Amino acid sequence: MEKIVYNDQGLFHPGHVACGGCAEALSLRVILNTMGKNTIGVVSPSCTAVICGGYPMTSTSIPIFHTTLETAAAAAAGVRQALEARGEGDTQVLCLAGDGGTYDIGLQALSSAAERNEDILYVCFDNEGYMNTGGQKSSSTPTGARTGSTPTGKTTHKKNLVEILAAHRIPYIATASPSDLNDLRTKVERARDMRGMRVIIVLIPCLPGWGIADDSAVATARLAVETGLWPMVEIFDGRDWRLTHRRGTRSVAEYLKGQKRYNHLQTDDIEALGREVDEGWELLNARLGQGPAGGSGNPQHRAAANTG
Amino acid sequence: MKDQATNQRLQLLSGNHAVAMGVMLARPDVAPVYPITPQTPILEKLTELHGQGRLGARMLTPESEHSVMATCISASLTGARVFTATSSQGLMLMHELLHYAAGARAPIVMFNVNRTPASPWGFWPDQLDSLSQRDTGWIQLYSESPQESLDLVIQAFRIAEQVELPVMVNHDAFYVSHAMEPVDVPEQAEIDDFLPPFHKDLRLDVATGRAFGAPADQATWNRTRRDMARAMGRVPALFSDIGSQWHALTGRASGPLETYRTKDADRVFIVLGSLAGTARQAVDDLRDKGIRAGLIKLRLLRPLPGELLRDLLCGHDDVLVLDRDYAPGMGGILHQEIAAALYGAPDAPRLHGFLTGVGGVNVPVRRLVELAEGIGTGDPSFESVWVD
Amino acid sequence: MDDLPSPLWTYLTSDNRLTGTWRSALPRHRDVPSPCRGACPVDGHIAEWIGQIRDGDMHKAWLTLVANNPFPAVIGRVCHHPCQSVCNRSELDETVSIRSLERHVGDHAIAQGWRLPAPGPATGRKVAIVGGGPAGLSAAWQLMRRGHAVTLFEASDAPGGLLRSGIPSYRLDKAVLDAEIARITQYGLDLRCGERISGRAGLEKLRKDFDAVYLATGASRPRHLPGLAPDSALARDGLAMDGAEFLRQTNAGETPPLGRHVVVIGGGSAAMDVARSARRLGHDVTILALEAEETLPAQRDEVIEAREEGISLVTGARVRAIEPAVTPRVAGLTLVCEKVRFIPGARRGEFTVEALADSAFDIDADAIVTAIGQDADPGIWDGLITADGALASTGDSWQTDLPGVFAGGDLASMDRFVSAAIGMGKEAAEAIDTYLNKAADHEAVNAPEVRFDEINTAYHPPAPRQIQENRPVEERLDSFIEVQLPLAAEQALAEAERCFSCGTCIYCDNCYVYCPDMAVIRLERGYEIRTDYCKGCGLCVAECPTGAVRMMAEVQ
Repeated sequence: MEKIVYNDQGLFHPGHVACGGCAEALSLRVILNTMGKNTIGVVSPSCTAVICGGYPMTSTSIPIFHTTLETAAAAAAGVRQALEARGEGDTQVLCLAGDGGTYDIGLQALSSAAERNEDILYVCFDNEGYMNTGGQKSSSTPTGARTGSTPTGKTTHKKNLVEILAAHRIPYIATASPSDLNDLRTKVERARDMRGMRVIIVLIPCLPGWGIADDSAVATARLAVETGLWPMVEIFDGRDWRLTHRRGTRSVAEYLKGQKRYNHLQTDDIEALGREVDEGWELLNARLGQGPAGGSGNPQHRAAANTG
Repeated sequence: MKDQATNQRLQLLSGNHAVAMGVMLARPDVAPVYPITPQTPILEKLTELHGQGRLGARMLTPESEHSVMATCISASLTGARVFTATSSQGLMLMHELLHYAAGARAPIVMFNVNRTPASPWGFWPDQLDSLSQRDTGWIQLYSESPQESLDLVIQAFRIAEQVELPVMVNHDAFYVSHAMEPVDVPEQAEIDDFLPPFHKDLRLDVATGRAFGAPADQATWNRTRRDMARAMGRVPALFSDIGSQWHALTGRASGPLETYRTKDADRVFIVLGSLAGTARQAVDDLRDKGIRAGLIKLRLLRPLPGELLRDLLCGHDDVLVLDRDYAPGMGGILHQEIAAALYGAPDAPRLHGFLTGVGGVNVPVRRLVELAEGIGTGDPSFESVWVD
Repeated sequence: MDDLPSPLWTYLTSDNRLTGTWRSALPRHRDVPSPCRGACPVDGHIAEWIGQIRDGDMHKAWLTLVANNPFPAVIGRVCHHPCQSVCNRSELDETVSIRSLERHVGDHAIAQGWRLPAPGPATGRKVAIVGGGPAGLSAAWQLMRRGHAVTLFEASDAPGGLLRSGIPSYRLDKAVLDAEIARITQYGLDLRCGERISGRAGLEKLRKDFDAVYLATGASRPRHLPGLAPDSALARDGLAMDGAEFLRQTNAGETPPLGRHVVVIGGGSAAMDVARSARRLGHDVTILALEAEETLPAQRDEVIEAREEGISLVTGARVRAIEPAVTPRVAGLTLVCEKVRFIPGARRGEFTVEALADSAFDIDADAIVTAIGQDADPGIWDGLITADGALASTGDSWQTDLPGVFAGGDLASMDRFVSAAIGMGKEAAEAIDTYLNKAADHEAVNAPEVRFDEINTAYHPPAPRQIQENRPVEERLDSFIEVQLPLAAEQALAEAERCFSCGTCIYCDNCYVYCPDMAVIRLERGYEIRTDYCKGCGLCVAECPTGAVRMMAEVQ
């Protein structure tokens, strides 16, 4: 059995107020401790903001700037620029935002920071909806999922943020899952050691939002990977695409059946979702085949930072 | 020293370029800016100075004023001296973050070029854009001229950093922003003495790990506003003091307000911004006609220097408030402000509100003379009066 | 108000908030029994020692093994491995080859010459053991390691019992047996071979001379069929023989003088042993068994191997009469047989048969060997201990109704497996230890066994089972060389990797790394739950690869 390893330096503190069994808190633990103490966090309103905060307490050993919902990337850029101006360029800036703050209201600021190749690591905790406000639809909510604002199931597709980001040709993009913490750690390490705009999107099965048991967030994320619903990729410079986990072969239905948000789906809905996953993989496979070296470029690649 | 040096240092500058020169002298660390008419010459002059190596700030151009302000706040809290500039729509797009900046006690200095808010589209001098932001917690200063814009933008950093509140300095579109006049540009060394390097105790610091802005309970939020109130309360006296220092350095007056021939005046104009020049001429013309007129030019609108205004205005017969703005349903915003300051004061003057130059229309000196002459002895109208 | 801390900047960490109050259940690390352990007659800590193989610590694995069974090399060859039948892994792909792994460790220990760990401090108590078979030797080892002085009386000239006289060398190399017995005798055992303890007086003397007595004399009385007993005419003529005697002779290197075609009657392991031994001595062999093939009491592997070796099986049949051969031969017999239906009885060893109509058939033979089981003889002490049929009567802790006298093995149980005898010896030793007024140190296992659905199979990818190869048939029949070949070292390691370690902490850190609340602390060896912070979500339980963490309801 491969041992899960990350160096817990105690940068994430107990006593935070995440739901018991929260995969976002779990991922945060790995990410913070992998980034290390010389990091400043920028957090937009999200479960992470709640988890980190609660004045007068903070649950992180790194300083956190709580910003507004739509400004995560812009605020992170401000920290970055100030650090550079102060001669503290070796301090990392870690942006933590939800999918609402990333796919929706924060997309404009994110796109701008990406275009400017700001030297920040942007992590999106993608729980596929506005879960911190009680579970409403975001543009990351998948087809068919029921939320507080799509009571009969969402009728449109989940936004393909990876494609959008890749179009910005930023140095590094990755998707990750709390079901593979070694992979998450590796991706954070790789991103940490690069410069320029880096984005990691972590799938976060939300216990109340998805209607899953307290102990099942990791298992649900694992199923998302193993059914092919959540492709695990790394993209260098927007062109060099790689898979970090082969396409899973378990049935999409198996993934859906464990979640209350899908329990209204009929057989043909499930089949349609299966086709959507297949189409996603067709596109992804095409990308994998068209990198500079057939999708096997140099992972050690370092992109130059925007030095302003 | 200023007298000898002045002539060598005079440069023919537009108001916007004067702002940029002032910003250069203030040595900001970070300057995110988004272009908007009629602010763009500030941006372009800054980038030009940056390109010449004369401005050391890290400049960036995010995709919107909203992101600009977000960048300003976090940069400021990281310990950087921050400057930005905007106008009208841009300022109003920032609205949410103006509150955020002030709540964060981020000593940002922003220059706003007062311009009509759409709709309809217009690019004319009107102060509604900044006046409608007066509850956001920003200190607001108003400039009459390119020279004053340079002077105020430098002083603004002193004020902001001492009370830890953001400062918005305003001047009128075109009348000031694009009008050119000889401007005295101080030496860098003088400004370095006047404005020490920025230091912030509480900041985003990996050594302490303290977090900013974590969700707070009601009592804590309440406390943040009481703290801001105390900081605001310090500003008039502080600005007076800084203004005196500026006067000592440059020979040019500054401070919360300027009085002109008010000592024995029966009728006193109060104005913000470029209208002060017109009003000053009107005062002289009225005096020539034997009417004892005076003028108060308000540089500090937020916090409103209420006590100063009471001391100055009570005892005069009539006060004429000139608003280059219009708050629908209520009238002139400055009018409301002055009324509030004077309410209940013994000896309070009669207060006359006039909507002059709304939308940037021209206000001739003659018209102001007529207004002062035409004041009757009856009770003035509760609302501001439109002036044609 | 000025001296209050800033309302904007945090000045405490969340450690001050004790989220443990949210919890309604608390995870507990505990060694939960694995199904294999539950099925193991010696209560072997199988998951633990396989984990130690996986960790590369063979010595530790061996110590874990011998704590319950001093014969890993023997049992690794001959055990009927009930553990493998209940292995949770079989629900994922295939069972783990536990017996092969045990042999791997046992052989390694012999090769390395490892000695048993030092005994505990001497108690001054003396125990007599009667019978040097697996039950007696197991009890001897367990008593000695607890500090008691043991004298073992073995009637024959060498200890081992059935292991020596019953199991052929092609299944259990005598050198292996000798090595594992030698370890026990060298441990300080007072071994008295050739001393038979019988009669009332014999047992009474032991009771007087010792603080406790353990009787493990085995089952040495063969059952006979009419006309085939040792005193029958056929036996006298050398045409019939008892299976136990046949095996005793062949195990001693003698060759019983039987004709070419031998029919072995019986369906158990002993019958297979007789048949396959006879085959190695050049006989044509037919096995005749009452049971249908799928219910033969012999192990399935033995039946398959017997067939491979060219032995004919006639199952579901019995002999009705034995007549001189119709066709004249040198010494020919004809077995008049019929097909039957075998109906097992309520107790092990009990059964009834029904003849099938018109199913008569004949088998020709030169000799008949009967191997239909053996009974114990609790009467040899002249009724001093109470018997229940052919078994000594014992209570829960293997105590007879005679104070201080315990009985076990085949003498007291119909569980006629070597591993069962070893387990009984261990249990009796623990009972004697308790009887000798020493606090019992044997653990009681109460928790339910780990179920397959408690294993997180994400951490156990499918992997092919490593199978112990057999020597090719053509190499087997010339001699009594061992049929089973050992696992190669890399095979053993790969097989150890396959073990789920059900219910056994493997110190993988999953509970620690997966806790979103930093509520699991890693200790030098093991983990501790920080009750101040644990919210009771159960993620550590869900992601435990072995089912070693369980949620326990908690009243706060």
